[in-house]
Amino acid sequence: MRRPERIGGRWEVALLSEGSSVLIVERSGEIREVLRTALQHRGWHIYEASRADLGLELARRHHPDLVVLDLDEQPADAEDLSSEFSKSANDEPTPVILLGAVRRSSANPGQFIAKPYHYQPLISKIEQLLQAK
Amino acid sequence: MSSLFVIQGRDQGYRFEFDSEQLPVTLGRDAACAIQLHDTEVSRLHAEIRLVDGKPVLVDLKSSNGTFVNNRVIERHELASGDQVQIGCTVMLFTGGDSSSMGDLNERIRIVPEQAADNSRIVRTMRQEEGTEIFSPDFDQTQSNWLARARSNLQVMYRTALAVSHTLDIDELLRRIMQLIFEWVEADRGCIMLLDSETKQLAPRVRRDRKSDGKGSEKTPDNIDISRTILDYVMEQREGVLTSDAQEDQRFDSAQSIVRQGIREAICVPMQGRYDIVGVVYIDTLVPASRVITRGAKKFTDEHLKLMVAIGHQAALAVEDTNYYSAMVQAERLAAVGQTIATLSHHVKNILQGIRGGSYLIEMGLNEHDETLVRKGWDIVEKNQRRISSLVMDMLTFSKEREPDLAPGDLNSTVADVIELMQARAVEKQVSLSCELAANMPALVFDPEGIHRAALNVVTNAIDACGENPEHGRPAGSVRVTTRYLPEGPFAHVAVADNGAGIAAEDLADIFSLFVSRKGSRGTGLGLPVSQKILKEHGGQIHVESQLGQGSTFTLELPAVEPEPPPDGGISARETWQGEPVSETGE
Repeated sequence: MRRPERIGGRWEVALLSEGSSVLIVERSGEIREVLRTALQHRGWHIYEASRADLGLELARRHHPDLVVLDLDEQPADAEDLSSEFSKSANDEPTPVILLGAVRRSSANPGQFIAKPYHYQPLISKIEQLLQAK
Repeated sequence: MSSLFVIQGRDQGYRFEFDSEQLPVTLGRDAACAIQLHDTEVSRLHAEIRLVDGKPVLVDLKSSNGTFVNNRVIERHELASGDQVQIGCTVMLFTGGDSSSMGDLNERIRIVPEQAADNSRIVRTMRQEEGTEIFSPDFDQTQSNWLARARSNLQVMYRTALAVSHTLDIDELLRRIMQLIFEWVEADRGCIMLLDSETKQLAPRVRRDRKSDGKGSEKTPDNIDISRTILDYVMEQREGVLTSDAQEDQRFDSAQSIVRQGIREAICVPMQGRYDIVGVVYIDTLVPASRVITRGAKKFTDEHLKLMVAIGHQAALAVEDTNYYSAMVQAERLAAVGQTIATLSHHVKNILQGIRGGSYLIEMGLNEHDETLVRKGWDIVEKNQRRISSLVMDMLTFSKEREPDLAPGDLNSTVADVIELMQARAVEKQVSLSCELAANMPALVFDPEGIHRAALNVVTNAIDACGENPEHGRPAGSVRVTTRYLPEGPFAHVAVADNGAGIAAEDLADIFSLFVSRKGSRGTGLGLPVSQKILKEHGGQIHVESQLGQGSTFTLELPAVEPEPPPDGGISARETWQGEPVSETGE
């Protein structure tokens, strides 16, 4: 186990295990819990953040292989956030899956999932993108 | 169907409707009244509307503060459409049912080509400015007493019309205008036609006939035939006209026919509004043959025309106001409906997302025979089940016109229940939740379920307000709930104080507005409006004090009503109270 890291006053738990790493940026602790549980089950590292700025900090530090980003709570100018996440994480662009009420831009056409979504397709999508890397 | 529309007071916007079969109906503060007014200056049984000779009569029931109709105190008063009824601080507008069904107006008011009409021709025309000058301050009032009196009456009419226009009923407004015209002009028949906004054609809206013998004989009135040429002239020239069917040459030549039939005179004026013509007002009269012979043909004069032009203009303004007002109300209503749907679906969507997450974990756990996973998923499902039930309860409380379900109870134990229920949420958010209950709190009459709901919403907000304290570098969250009994009111207070983010002064005005939430998507914006509604139903209120960065205190204040001791000396409510005396709970 990697030691939990504290960022911006909130404990961001990062678990070390074999395989790829996924960063979850989602305000709802409940949704984070579901995703964390399901993804950890598949043996991936999970980083999670409740806010975009905290998430960006984690992305820069840990270079996750994939980002799941909930845009519902973000301000309107957050459209560029996904590209920021994509660039910040690694040398090569990191896939970002956007979760939200409505698609806000044509960027990332394949990686947008409208809320309310089902978890099985979301997790299959994550699996598919990680395998492609 | 008659109605009383509350235009001023706490029940503003409320419309009480009743049929004449339902009379008598009582007006008062008591819940037993058909027209119940939430106004402390209204007596329990204040007044009554009875049916006397088929007409609605308002009777004061020896109320403490009296009953007023059109600003005059009354003991009994036969109600007419447009009457303003004031009792206590509540002002209502009475609108009478339309007893005489008019049938199809199009059948009875016809626009006819000139040839088919009665050879009417225009004998005088007048522009709006000329008519409206009777309102100007330098109008020579000595010119005519009749016109001066008509002018003051017209202003009264305009004010009434404005009030009527707020009932959104154009036809009622037009009937009222027609009624006024008949009070001042000796017309036999009259009608108002409005321009249809789609077809651009004039369509008859109201018709009025003077009862020929004053006893209201029910003979079917004739058709009103209005010459298309004259209507076109009025609409195009925007001038009022006075017409007569007595031809200059016929007046003498056809003396025989005039003696038999008399002469029909008519006034037709445009309803010139602020921007455009909205319709026409038409009145006519038959000058009897005897009068034609003895005093000449004229019954309608320049003064009549002047007054009618002025009325036409005022009526148009009132019609425009009514149209504008109803369009505005409609737009506001649609906007509110849209906002309601958007807010609620967003909230339901979040709950659904939570339930799907929980279900997914349960399914995973079942597949893998992992009971911990099932438990985890189940907890999430349960939490969302509580969220949706709380949302539904708030929606119901807000939408329902309900009377508080008053019963003797213990306010302290209601508050203690809320604290106990909220402890889990407080622990989850790392907020300390404590309470201090007044030892001198008597048994009170209140709606325990309602007050429970009201307190629950306020405590939830308090926990949420300071749950993020550590993230913003403030001390750990703490919520303190205090109950107090103030014998001088007597009032009972439930004060909920938090050390959270506080509310900016400019936001304070909005906190009780429906669907305004500062919690982002987590808030429904229903909580505080619901709490306030419940307190108001109790005759109480919610006080708020807040300092940005320091925290807020919400105080629920309700009038302390102690249960009456049973007359037979039985067990008092106080003795039946089951609650344990609670002094301090929490962490």
